[in-house]
Amino acid sequence: MARNLAVKAARAQKDMTQKDLAAAVGVSRQTINAIEQGEYNPTIKLCRAICRALGKTLDELFWEDDNNEKE
Amino acid sequence: MKKSNLDEMQEQALLRIEHTGCCLVFWGLLAAMAVQGVMGAGIRELAGEWIVFMVLALYLVIGCLHHGIWDRKLKPNAKTNFIVSLLAGIAVGIFMAAVYFRNVQEWLDLVLITVIPAVCTFVLCFAALTVCAALYKKRREKLDQE
Repeated sequence: MARNLAVKAARAQKDMTQKDLAAAVGVSRQTINAIEQGEYNPTIKLCRAICRALGKTLDELFWEDDNNEKE
Repeated sequence: MKKSNLDEMQEQALLRIEHTGCCLVFWGLLAAMAVQGVMGAGIRELAGEWIVFMVLALYLVIGCLHHGIWDRKLKPNAKTNFIVSLLAGIAVGIFMAAVYFRNVQEWLDLVLITVIPAVCTFVLCFAALTVCAALYKKRREKLDQE
């Protein structure tokens, strides 16, 4: 799975650490790190919570082009 | 319901750990019973392990059938059931040969002691798999219609 740089960039824009984002959405820092590294595929529920916390849409953070879509 | 201490990724990790633990217990119990059987343990000595093993096996079968799940790779058809039953029969035949090899004087006795249980295992296993496959298909159909 490709790295999720959009989440990392949006988090940096909001000046949030992984720990801050984790606390905002109610998961562990390891989970946020795994999402950013592309090691964990979050549920739609968690995706929505991250989008709300970062003020972004699902498309902006989690949409991938066909070329980048990897299992 | 009490809120979980785990987030979704930790929950998945825990499920994987529990899955591996379940496999270890299942195959560990089977191996322990086989080794004890070869070493001469009787039904009484094996009863505890056998009960735990059967409870686990029944729980897995009933749980999977209830959720309309068969197997990750194997298909519920007669050919696959035949091959799996044949393997089970061969395994039981080898097990019986290992248990009675030293105590049998005549080769014919050894053949009978291994072949009869092996054939019985094959027949029972094939029948059980056929019944389970039919129940699975029925359940799958019902779940698909819901």
